[in-house]
Amino acid sequence: MLKVLVKKQLSEVFKGYFYDAKKNRMRSKGAIACWFVFFALIMVGMLGGIFTALSLSMCGGLTQAGMGWLYFLLMGGVSIFLGAFGSVFNTYSGLYLAKDNDLLLSLPIPVRTIMAARLINVYLLGAMYAATVLIPALIVYWVVAGATVARVVCGVVLLATVTFIVLLLSCALGWVVAKISLRLKNKSFVTVLVSLLFIGGYYFFYFKANDLIRDIIANAQTYGARIRGAAYGLYLFGRIGEGDRAAAAIYAAAVAALCAGVWAVMSRSFLSIATATGGVSRVRYVEKPVRQKTVFGALLGKELARFASSPNYMLNCGLGVLLIPACGVLLLIKGAEICQALDKALAGRPGSAAVLVCTALCLASSMNDMAAPAVSLEGRSLWIPQSLPVTPRLALRAKLALQLLLTGLPMAFAAVCAAIAVPAAPAAKALLCATPLIYAAFSAAFNTTIGVRMPLLRWTSELAPIKQSGAVSIAMFGSWGFCVVLAGLYLLIGYRLGPALYLALAAALFAATALLLLRWLDTKGSRVFAELT
Amino acid sequence: MLKIEHLTKTYGDKKAVDDLSLHIRPGEIFGFIGHNGAGKSTTLKSAVGILRFDAGRITINGDSITEAPVKCKRELAYIPDNPDLYDFMSGIKYLNFIADVFAIAPADRQARIRKYADLLELTGDLAQPVSAYSHGMKQKLAVIAAWLHAPRLIVMDEPFVGLDPKASHLLKQMMREHCDAGGAIFFSTHVLEVAEKLCDKVAIIKQGRLVKVGTMDEVKGDDSLEEVFLELEAE
Repeated sequence: MLKVLVKKQLSEVFKGYFYDAKKNRMRSKGAIACWFVFFALIMVGMLGGIFTALSLSMCGGLTQAGMGWLYFLLMGGVSIFLGAFGSVFNTYSGLYLAKDNDLLLSLPIPVRTIMAARLINVYLLGAMYAATVLIPALIVYWVVAGATVARVVCGVVLLATVTFIVLLLSCALGWVVAKISLRLKNKSFVTVLVSLLFIGGYYFFYFKANDLIRDIIANAQTYGARIRGAAYGLYLFGRIGEGDRAAAAIYAAAVAALCAGVWAVMSRSFLSIATATGGVSRVRYVEKPVRQKTVFGALLGKELARFASSPNYMLNCGLGVLLIPACGVLLLIKGAEICQALDKALAGRPGSAAVLVCTALCLASSMNDMAAPAVSLEGRSLWIPQSLPVTPRLALRAKLALQLLLTGLPMAFAAVCAAIAVPAAPAAKALLCATPLIYAAFSAAFNTTIGVRMPLLRWTSELAPIKQSGAVSIAMFGSWGFCVVLAGLYLLIGYRLGPALYLALAAALFAATALLLLRWLDTKGSRVFAELT
Repeated sequence: MLKIEHLTKTYGDKKAVDDLSLHIRPGEIFGFIGHNGAGKSTTLKSAVGILRFDAGRITINGDSITEAPVKCKRELAYIPDNPDLYDFMSGIKYLNFIADVFAIAPADRQARIRKYADLLELTGDLAQPVSAYSHGMKQKLAVIAAWLHAPRLIVMDEPFVGLDPKASHLLKQMMREHCDAGGAIFFSTHVLEVAEKLCDKVAIIKQGRLVKVGTMDEVKGDDSLEEVFLELEAE
């Protein structure tokens, strides 16, 4: 039974890879293979590549100094951090808020089996991220220090230990969030606020990590001695990677005991949390004056209401709303310093600072991709826009407009800040303002297009379209790709044109592509949307 | 009001609806009966423009649902078999959203919401999120939303499922009043007693094909509708 449930959940997570919703049929074997290769490239190539580089920069020095355990402690820490803290609220949704809870609980399936299936899903997703850090770290170590049987076996134990620690942390934090969430009013915004505090802490650690790691490597012996003296458990953790069988056994036993404890605690509350209605206080309806909206205003209001009602949607697809103005403020404070450093580092490529700041703003706007899952989020209520007297074109425009609005307004502020902060000719300053705004429009059109082309309408947890769908992956990684090309081309050859002409060309290209995408959405995209079932 | 001519819809190799023709006139409550998977929902969804079909023509007041979908949809309201409404809105926000789409003036909409919500005893719950509604409450909300813009044609798929006896009774009254005022209703049901008492006309569909259509007397004669239906099913 457990296997059936896990298979059901995983098939939902990866449904977009097997099933073509647009054509309402399974994909061909070749297409399925291509999707999985694409996914593997992103996970192994991109994330794995980043952490391979980090491992290479640390492993040699620490291993030679006899501090291999410190190397594993650092990489294990990064791995746990990446796996657990980013998914606290997803754990809550994934564990307790699945839409098929009632169905499964009504079937002759033990509650513990349902809980185990949900936990396995959480485990696999956390393990996937943790493994992108730890597997490269282990391989680099085995190459640098040599791969003995003990090291390989203990390395595997370390990997398992880390993935279970990630699960433990995710569950513990998810359980706390669930308990708090059941007592909250304005849940969406409080959840977002708390999540942002977590994310803020996450990025604070992330930005400090480089300095911290450099400091630890430079003073490895001193820190090593301190850690061994004051936190022997951490030393033991690192020793697992070096092939210490005793350390591996101690940690495996400790993690197993903790898992059993968490299982016992969660078993007692799973049913009550999963079936809780949230204790929502009853609000009595009082008739109030209403203002009539236009059809487009109503559709846009509906999209905004959906966005504001879901912490998952806001956190995964709308962080740019805060990040973009934060970039603007940062530019006002540190802009001159950053530009000086960039100009100095890229002296042979004049005007790079303006283009790179522009790219940074475009990159920040890629944190907003609420248009990408908007079609999928219609889910089973798709019949509403399809049966109402609204054109598919207008329904899609409303989805596009939400992203445009929530990105364009903060971007206008940030772009003005950039123009003030970056020393450049007036033409370059004007284009530094215009290009990110045009990019925001392009990005909104691109994400809506992807959302129409890759809909995922049959889901039991909103996380599937918001976080795990092909549309969202392409929207996110695609926008990163556009930014890499924008900056890379300038540094390669574009600098010969100067920043103003280069940005003008880029803006023209983004504008033209946005118009083409808009044209597609108004014609073929609208037909596709109207025919979705 | 609603004219379906030679409607054919296939899913892969399977013909869900095969050359089906129906005419629902103003003032008629038209019942649509058939076994599970007979093609009722496919016909209803095609009639309201949700589903594209392979062949045939559907017109509402003379306008084709494929050529002038928005004009046709202004004239109709649809309630699906499972009212999956916007969970993220409150009941009143959902009704105001529908009212905005149909450009109903604030005073009119408030009067109509008050009238139908009071009638179906949902007024006190309108401020609650739809996610907190029971199936029956969602069905009531869908009914209010359907009646809100005073459509000429109302298409409903199993509208009585989930409603309590009082709400079912009220819905039947509302349907009768709507048709007496010149509107038309096309609805599917498995409750043959309801169809027999309520409908002016009835159509029976079997494996996508229309097997019987006409006034209630023409279809059932001296038998009960249940007997006729079971007899046709056995053939």
